[in-house]
Amino acid sequence: MSPVRRSLFAFLLVVALAAFAAAQQQPSNPPAQTQQPEAPPPGQQQPAPAPTGEPAADSGTQAAPQKMAKPTGHNEVVIKGGTLLTVTHGRIANGQLYIKDGKIVAVGQTVQAPASAKVIDATGKWVTPGLIDAHSHIALDGDVNEATSPITPQMIMLDAFQYTDKGIYRALAGGTTTSLLLHGSANMIGGQAVVIKHKYGMDRDDLLFPGAPQSIKFASGENPKRVYGGRNQTPATRMGNFAVMRQAFQEAREYMREWDDYNAKTQKGDKDAKQPKRDLKLDALADILRGKLLVQIHCYRADEFLTEMAIAHEFGYKIRAFHHGLEVYKVADKVAADGVALATFSDWYGYKMEANDAIPWNAVISMRKGVRVAIKSDSDDLTRRLNQEAAKTMHYGGATEDEAMKMITLNPAWIIGVDDKVGSLDAGKDADVVIWDKYPLSSYATPEKVFIDGDLFFDKSLPGYGMPYYTEGK
Amino acid sequence: MLLSPAFAQKTQKPAGKPAPAKPALPPAPLTALKGGKVVTVSHGTIENGVVVMQDGKITAVGGPSTAIPRGARVIDATGMWVYPGLFDSETRLGLSEIQAVDMTNDSSEPSDEIMPHMHVYDAFHAETEHIPISRINGITNAIVAPGDDDTLPGQDSLIQLWGPSGEEMLIGKDIALAMNFSANQRRRRGSFENWKYPSTRMGLATQLRQTFLDALDYKRKWDDYNKPAEKKDGDKDKKDDKKTPPKRDLKLEALLPYLAGERPVVLDVQESTDLYTALALAREFKLRVILKGLTHAQINLDQIAATKLPVILGPIYEQPRDDERYDAVYKLPAELHRRGVKFAFASYDLYAVVQPRNLPYEAGYAVAWGLPWDEAMKAITLNAAEIWGVAGQLGSLDAGKTANVVVSNGDPLDVKTDVKHVFIAGREVPLESRQTRLRDEYMKR
Repeated sequence: MSPVRRSLFAFLLVVALAAFAAAQQQPSNPPAQTQQPEAPPPGQQQPAPAPTGEPAADSGTQAAPQKMAKPTGHNEVVIKGGTLLTVTHGRIANGQLYIKDGKIVAVGQTVQAPASAKVIDATGKWVTPGLIDAHSHIALDGDVNEATSPITPQMIMLDAFQYTDKGIYRALAGGTTTSLLLHGSANMIGGQAVVIKHKYGMDRDDLLFPGAPQSIKFASGENPKRVYGGRNQTPATRMGNFAVMRQAFQEAREYMREWDDYNAKTQKGDKDAKQPKRDLKLDALADILRGKLLVQIHCYRADEFLTEMAIAHEFGYKIRAFHHGLEVYKVADKVAADGVALATFSDWYGYKMEANDAIPWNAVISMRKGVRVAIKSDSDDLTRRLNQEAAKTMHYGGATEDEAMKMITLNPAWIIGVDDKVGSLDAGKDADVVIWDKYPLSSYATPEKVFIDGDLFFDKSLPGYGMPYYTEGK
Repeated sequence: MLLSPAFAQKTQKPAGKPAPAKPALPPAPLTALKGGKVVTVSHGTIENGVVVMQDGKITAVGGPSTAIPRGARVIDATGMWVYPGLFDSETRLGLSEIQAVDMTNDSSEPSDEIMPHMHVYDAFHAETEHIPISRINGITNAIVAPGDDDTLPGQDSLIQLWGPSGEEMLIGKDIALAMNFSANQRRRRGSFENWKYPSTRMGLATQLRQTFLDALDYKRKWDDYNKPAEKKDGDKDKKDDKKTPPKRDLKLEALLPYLAGERPVVLDVQESTDLYTALALAREFKLRVILKGLTHAQINLDQIAATKLPVILGPIYEQPRDDERYDAVYKLPAELHRRGVKFAFASYDLYAVVQPRNLPYEAGYAVAWGLPWDEAMKAITLNAAEIWGVAGQLGSLDAGKTANVVVSNGDPLDVKTDVKHVFIAGREVPLESRQTRLRDEYMKR
């Protein structure tokens, strides 16, 4: 993924600026995204006072909104004595983890850390990376579907992002530290997603995952059929679904050709070259065809996976993951061969016709056949206990502990395109860490402390709402 | 002769008594489970215990020296857990196959709010795929309730998740009356001019009150009619000559056993506001109440405890309200237990995709939030049987009870645990479903 595509916020800024600039400047390439500046590194966005470290008062529901000191991102913490589930290199009993400046510095049986570091005793407890939800619709206040046209790739989820939504905090309290916020499934191509860290209580831009690539959500099957067929519009069938998509990509190809011609002419110094009209929808489709967006597809049935992959081949883009994908177990070898990941439910089934062949062994069968599998929520409820959902893969199919953990950490991180930054307890990764009271892959565990970028964002032992940086009010 | 309501009631099976099984199959085999960790629920846990089943009943439960009758099939349960079949206190099993496909749904009659004459057993589809799927995780009994679109949507049935036919699976017909007071019954959909009575909580309560009054009035009419005429002038009986029987009304008639306190009303209330109104209504008409829901009534838990009423809890996965802590709903079972309230878990919930097979994990999650393990186990076995009035047959491993027994390779409330054997009425049920068949078919490919 190109390093210039750094953050959604920066992207939007550029889109806004481009609106002013478009009249005067001749963009050399239609999609604005290629020109965005890099976002500042985490922890340096805004100088902030150090957190007091004092627990927030138990102010119940009466308290007025009150912002606490912001985290600095420069904490030094050593977590000692717990059992670490590293995800990438197994269990470390009575292990140690050293966090500094928002990053994991060292993980092991013992670590070298200066005496100044704050020590957290995790004896008898369990330490995992922050959980990652590859499919969430929280914090969007119902603005999930622009269900007025089946192709709306120009919709930018950030425009609807409700960073004060308590869903973010509830998921955080369940150990989820990163989520991909996706559009709904009304449209064949719904729009562009947001990747957040669950830093509840901070300003909007502090929640955006720095450097996360841009994902776009597709959908197919019963949902678009119902939405548009119900209005006597296309698509009312699966044939219609894919016809609409092909038509859109065809137009995008022509649009790209116009711009390529124009750019070639201006490069040759042709002053009379006529600049094509910018079209946000076609810009976004062009970005898909140029491979600049991670394509996340809501689909259920085996035949749909095959059609989606065929269309991707036809137009030359790659699919990052099938979401839901309840029948991937039927064609897992083909999905694996295309390098498409699966973000699925552990055991949902039967709620609609295309979920009727869902089996709870889907995740493990697909994994054994080479598909990279994540267990995701698609639910403001499940996102609060992804650990239990992952544990079901140990029950249904006999996933190992590492495999089950990977499905809610490293694999969703890959689907979102941030696996180089989060998803395991490894030196150099972001210090997104959960301390659990019990073995996390069970019915019995709840998070006691949740760190994001080295700062403590949730602490069960605190009175009130368990949030060090924010009291009631949002 | 026309059946009078009084007569009709007499012909109904008493609440909770299982129907006599048809002699369609040979008797359930003699089986003994040996060496397992036996969680009796009623009288503690027996390490290296023995459970004997014969003719569909549990005949012995005890330690390693418990006698195993000659000829018994002996299953070595060493290293396993043995516990009573799990009891789900509300599901839609057999009423709905595929949520989004209307033609497969039989859970609600949305034309009227008052439908007490709807009987789950009339629609119960014993061949539903959801039953074998649920059985595989050890669910052996469930209350099937109608949907919650109406205030009085109908009467619940108690089912057993295996039987020679649907008839034998329905072991308690009309076991309770569902009554939804969760304010979503208000006919306030769409724009103002489309509202329909009752559109407010006031309307809801008034409509119910009027319905109960109508039923009592109906009963009075029949009682008058059935009263033997005063014998004067040496007449033998003047009744048949002079009186016209009142018109029968199945709707009002259905309410009579509940207004007589013979069977419980399951009062679904989510919030404090509704709780007070609904309980006042129940008191006014002397209804025997089982509370259900209470998900957002945390501030009234002491008052709930004071009523001494039993409670059915949905899964505790529902979101808290915005003014509630993140753990407000999670802690509900522990908080009720602390106050001495008897409760049982139901897998059914308005707001989440939940399934009976997840019932043990829902109980397990309550343990994560402070409920003692033994209490969580009880809330999906014996408490349920007691609340529904069938503790004589179900809910624990005790001699004389129906042989609904589960054997698993670990803690039943933990997600990782695999169920190895399920016995329903003494017969081992194959752990197969449409889902296992799909699994096996595609694993080979």
